[in-house]
Amino acid sequence: MISRLRYTLREMWASMSRNKTLTAATIITSTISLLLFGLTLLIQKGFENQLKLWTGGVEMVVYVKHGATPDQVQLIQGALEGQSTVIENVEYCDEACATEVANTLFAGDQDSLEQLIPKIPSFFKVTPIDKDSGEVLRTLKDTFSELPNVIDVRTPDQQVEVLSQLKSFFGVRTLIISGGLLAASALLIWNTIRTAMFARRREIEVMKLVGATNWFIRLPFMLEGLLQGVVGGFLGGIFMLLINRDWTNGVRAFPVESGLEGFVVTDGYPYMVWIGMIAVGALVGAIGSGTAASKFLDV
Amino acid sequence: MIRLENVTKSYSTEVTALRDASFDVAKAEFVFLVGPSGSGKSTLLRLMNRQERPERGAVWVAGRNINEMPDSKVPHLRRNIGNIFQDYKLLTNKTVFENVAFALEVIGRPRHVIRQQVPAVLDLVGLSGKQDRFPHQLSGGEQQRVSIARAFVNRPLILLADEPTGNLDPATGEGIMRLLDRINKTGTTVVMATHDQRIVNMMRKRVIQLDRGVIVRDQARGVYE
Repeated sequence: MISRLRYTLREMWASMSRNKTLTAATIITSTISLLLFGLTLLIQKGFENQLKLWTGGVEMVVYVKHGATPDQVQLIQGALEGQSTVIENVEYCDEACATEVANTLFAGDQDSLEQLIPKIPSFFKVTPIDKDSGEVLRTLKDTFSELPNVIDVRTPDQQVEVLSQLKSFFGVRTLIISGGLLAASALLIWNTIRTAMFARRREIEVMKLVGATNWFIRLPFMLEGLLQGVVGGFLGGIFMLLINRDWTNGVRAFPVESGLEGFVVTDGYPYMVWIGMIAVGALVGAIGSGTAASKFLDV
Repeated sequence: MIRLENVTKSYSTEVTALRDASFDVAKAEFVFLVGPSGSGKSTLLRLMNRQERPERGAVWVAGRNINEMPDSKVPHLRRNIGNIFQDYKLLTNKTVFENVAFALEVIGRPRHVIRQQVPAVLDLVGLSGKQDRFPHQLSGGEQQRVSIARAFVNRPLILLADEPTGNLDPATGEGIMRLLDRINKTGTTVVMATHDQRIVNMMRKRVIQLDRGVIVRDQARGVYE
């Protein structure tokens, strides 16, 4: 067992040293593609964080006609609370409460207050369950606008929609590009292993004739590809962490009112992505080298 | 030890390398396969170690029909068959010791076994003291001895030799034949394809003659005709 392990590692190292240029090219391609893959995950997480930040305060406001009777208000409340599958919470602010809010909001604007207070509407603050979907918010708005004695429904559906579209736009495109680059890495690893096997075809022929099993012959080549993928994932992860640190510092320098402070990923997530990149690198390397080692064993 | 039953092998619809070949080789027998180039000698050897499979017929080695053997068992079959080639097939970046040890290493033999068996077999083939040399530092005859040592180090039941003296001068060729004869006398079955009339006539072993894929003669203690 130990002698087999020693042999496998020795042969793997010998093969990698023999094809230095090709090995370097493969590792560079793996690093870049895995870097892009990692950055895609970070971009998506950044959008998610920003969306959470914006939608954390998402509330739909349903305004009730001034002077509506308690029965009429009760009817609206019943209709809202009846939508428990899409609505998380319903809170009623009667006309006295609305006056208090108006007094706070328009404290320095006596003219507006004088115009508003005599016909001030009471309102329901409604918290939807799905805060990320502009479409859901719009549907709720349309439904509740039809209720009797409801004069207006306000939602931040457009802003949420734009951010969701941006997340989807960048997420899908970067994922496609990184997927393409990962496929290129797998092909390059495949080609490296094929070249390595061709260079050692005489040895492989002798190995087969003296009774080495196919797995014994394949293993050093498969480990070579696996190692190239792992190194690519490791290096790509380091670059990703450096870029993330740079980006985080840059965003922190933005003015607070820019509202972009959510576009950073500062928790342990980047490290999880790094581990994921190494795992994906190992998988890509194993697939590339495994298929090459199986296909070209009859050299 | 080896049995061929009505074996036919074609490489294309026009080229039939072997046609309906049948014969038996007993344990510890020494057999020459003779015939002109393209007569099917090498194909026969390749069928015996499952490098090729016949279209028709059966090839039995050590009691097993190797055509029906699953691919996963073929390496274990080959551990009982040594192969010697005209061009030696030595690994140029390895020393004599490493070339011979390679055959044991790739079948997972432990280091202490390798350290024991390799010097012993190098001694048997007359290469003691040359174990640290590289193939290019050896003569043709010495390279073929390394190839024989590699084929024999695992003490196989059968030795298949494809023109082992083809690249050697007559005197060196005779030395190689004496070595193969010694190995044969230890109980190893030897099947050797050759063009070398002088060697066949000198050894007076069983001769199977092929012509365009057909066995035309099978003679005990035969000569080259």
